[in-house]
Amino acid sequence: MTLIINNLKKTFDKHKAVDGISLTINEGEMFGMLGANGAGKTTSFRMILGLLDPTEGDVRWKGERITYKRTKLVGYLPEERGLFPKLTVKDQLVYLTKLKGMNKQSIIKEMRLWLDRFGVPEYENKVIEELSKGNQQKIQFIAAVLHKPELLILDEPFSGLDPVNADMLKNAVKDLQERGTTIVFSSHQMSNVEELCEDLIMLKKGKAVLQGNLRTIKRSYDMKNISIKADYDLAFLEDVKGVLKIEQKKDGADVKVENEKAAETIFSCLASKGFVRKFELEEPSLHDIFIDKAGGAAHE
Amino acid sequence: MNNFWTTFTHTAGRRLKSKTFIITTSIMALFIISLINLNTILEAFSGDGAEDEPAVAVVDQTSEEGQFAEMLKTLAAEGSFEYIHYSGDVEQALSDAENDDFTYVLELTGTLDALQAEFYGEGTDFRTGQEVQQDVQRTKETLATSALDLNEQELALIFNPVSFNEKPLSGTGEVQTAETHMQTYWMVYGLVFVIYLIVVTLGTMIATEVATEKSSRVMELIVSSVNPVTQMLGKIMGIGLAGLVNLSVLVLAAFAGSYLSGEDFFTNIFTEVIDYSLIIYALLFIILGYFVYGGVAAMLGALVSRAEEVNQAIQPLIFLAMIAFFVSLYGLNAPDAIFIRVLSYVPFFTPQLLFLRIGMGTVPVWEIAVISALLIISAVLINIIAARIYKGGVLMYGKFSFKKGIKQALKLSKKES
Ligand SMILES: Nc1ncnc2c1ncn2[C@@H]1O[C@H](COP(=O)(O)OP(=O)(O)OP(=O)(O)O)[C@@H](O)[C@H]1O
Ligand SMILES: [Mg+2]
Repeated sequence: MTLIINNLKKTFDKHKAVDGISLTINEGEMFGMLGANGAGKTTSFRMILGLLDPTEGDVRWKGERITYKRTKLVGYLPEERGLFPKLTVKDQLVYLTKLKGMNKQSIIKEMRLWLDRFGVPEYENKVIEELSKGNQQKIQFIAAVLHKPELLILDEPFSGLDPVNADMLKNAVKDLQERGTTIVFSSHQMSNVEELCEDLIMLKKGKAVLQGNLRTIKRSYDMKNISIKADYDLAFLEDVKGVLKIEQKKDGADVKVENEKAAETIFSCLASKGFVRKFELEEPSLHDIFIDKAGGAAHE
Repeated sequence: MNNFWTTFTHTAGRRLKSKTFIITTSIMALFIISLINLNTILEAFSGDGAEDEPAVAVVDQTSEEGQFAEMLKTLAAEGSFEYIHYSGDVEQALSDAENDDFTYVLELTGTLDALQAEFYGEGTDFRTGQEVQQDVQRTKETLATSALDLNEQELALIFNPVSFNEKPLSGTGEVQTAETHMQTYWMVYGLVFVIYLIVVTLGTMIATEVATEKSSRVMELIVSSVNPVTQMLGKIMGIGLAGLVNLSVLVLAAFAGSYLSGEDFFTNIFTEVIDYSLIIYALLFIILGYFVYGGVAAMLGALVSRAEEVNQAIQPLIFLAMIAFFVSLYGLNAPDAIFIRVLSYVPFFTPQLLFLRIGMGTVPVWEIAVISALLIISAVLINIIAARIYKGGVLMYGKFSFKKGIKQALKLSKKES
């Protein structure tokens, strides 16, 4: 148990941005922080890093708060990307990583490894403002991980990347985790979260609405999807109690139901109606869960 | 400490290596060298060499029958005028003067015991008249003493100068002689001006650098690694070092220039104008003043979101320095004024006004100690507060408003548990 967040709260002028979240993240884990825009993800990250002081509660990494004495242990990819526009890639990585206590030779050695890995060794002496946004982001990522932090905080690391580069970054993140880095990240792309993390928290207006192991959450989640293939019209299912949504297809339909009970009702309805080529009960996607749980935050 | 050095060397190095810095410093150095050698340069262009001393036509109508004019000519041969014994009368001399044959006309009448002199010339410099009067007086004395046929001792009795010393009332006090007054005057003037320049140039530089880092959003990354106090001090001192290098180059240029010009301008300054104990004070106050104003500049830089807003944000600081500038100029003529004394306790004015009071000798030692201590304490406090606002300001974006900004920044950087 390494990162422990205990009843963390942050209030800006009466507005509760983060409202009592508690978490335990194990060493070497990849942890997802989800939530709609304005749910309090960035604010939580800033409190973990000590950039903002919590109104209440605290954050401990291996038993101690993250103060300026321990920033070497932490790597951060801020949501608002930013590097020195007029400095070369090399100069700024050297400066930013020196601040983490690494010496120049090791920085340059490590930097070249990363630039090679991202396929951009020729950027070493280029000025940042000459790079494209996605390529700047690669450099930003390198700045977060160059000093081999124990705890890595990535605020929306995949936004703005093309699929190829997003994959490259994803693999880099996975490798880091395999090397033992504890990673906390936020993302709006649910597929990335499903692919990467085991545990997650979902925030809505600063409060946790879901929390725990991704698979357990999905399995125990009441809402289910049913995929049906049948030769007759399935529109009548709309009136069955517990059906949330039905999407008709050429040879069947995808039905979203409240719980397994509703699925059983549908199954018996269909059995009385005629032959069914396929009937499959699926766990909901994280996307569905997100919309169910965290959606509407902006509208309420 | 490590991070301090990293920030310090990064900030200073980036400036010192930048093309703009190298070019502007070189241009300024060249400018200074040529300014000091302006005379030589102008002469080289205008061709003709030494300037002629203005000529004075002497119309001698005294009882001495021309002897006076001749004596004046020889006695004043080394002086700044060339006396010509003119044989015509005053009207002729004046019309010749109109034709530019000479610049001035001096008419002497009467006898040695009641000598009268009329001096004609276009009134420019009051010193001209004084000098001519001295020359005439000296000539008269010489002629009179030789007419009296006095011996060496009798002459000495009359002409040996009085030994005149100025002493303070109490043992420890100081007296302002005309000479030390001028020294102090120029030093205070110089220091106040230097501080003003530092605030305007280096202060703006600090604020711009902070605002640029903020607007490029790299600041959030930096303050996640470095304590903002450390970072701010590293930055202030880094820019201070660049300023110091700049200043040293300019001083060296001035030395080089005066060496080239052959005039011993600097030996002059060092032996006559500058008082060494004052130099120490000047350095101390420049450094402390730099920290007071630099801290505020960094804070103001952190309050704006875009580098373009820096000029607006830094205005109050420049006003403060400007007020200090004018108050000091006033204080030079009234160093005892009660409000100069009171204002010398205000940190933003202390460097200038305390220095002024020390220079003018109107401040007891205990007060120097107290005010300096106050200045040091407030420099530290200002920098701590500035660093807090600096840290909060980093996470704050939006239109610049001084009051709202400070409040919000303090709130954001608040220690709540
Ligand atoms: N400096 C601040 N001052 C006042 N309110 C703030 C500040 N920073 C954040 N907030 C508020 O706190 C809430 C949470 O913001 P936060 O940036 O943490 O959201 P988020 O989950 O990161 O959203 P997004 O997905 O859009 O990045 C928002 O309502 C925001 O307006
Ligand atoms: Mg965010």
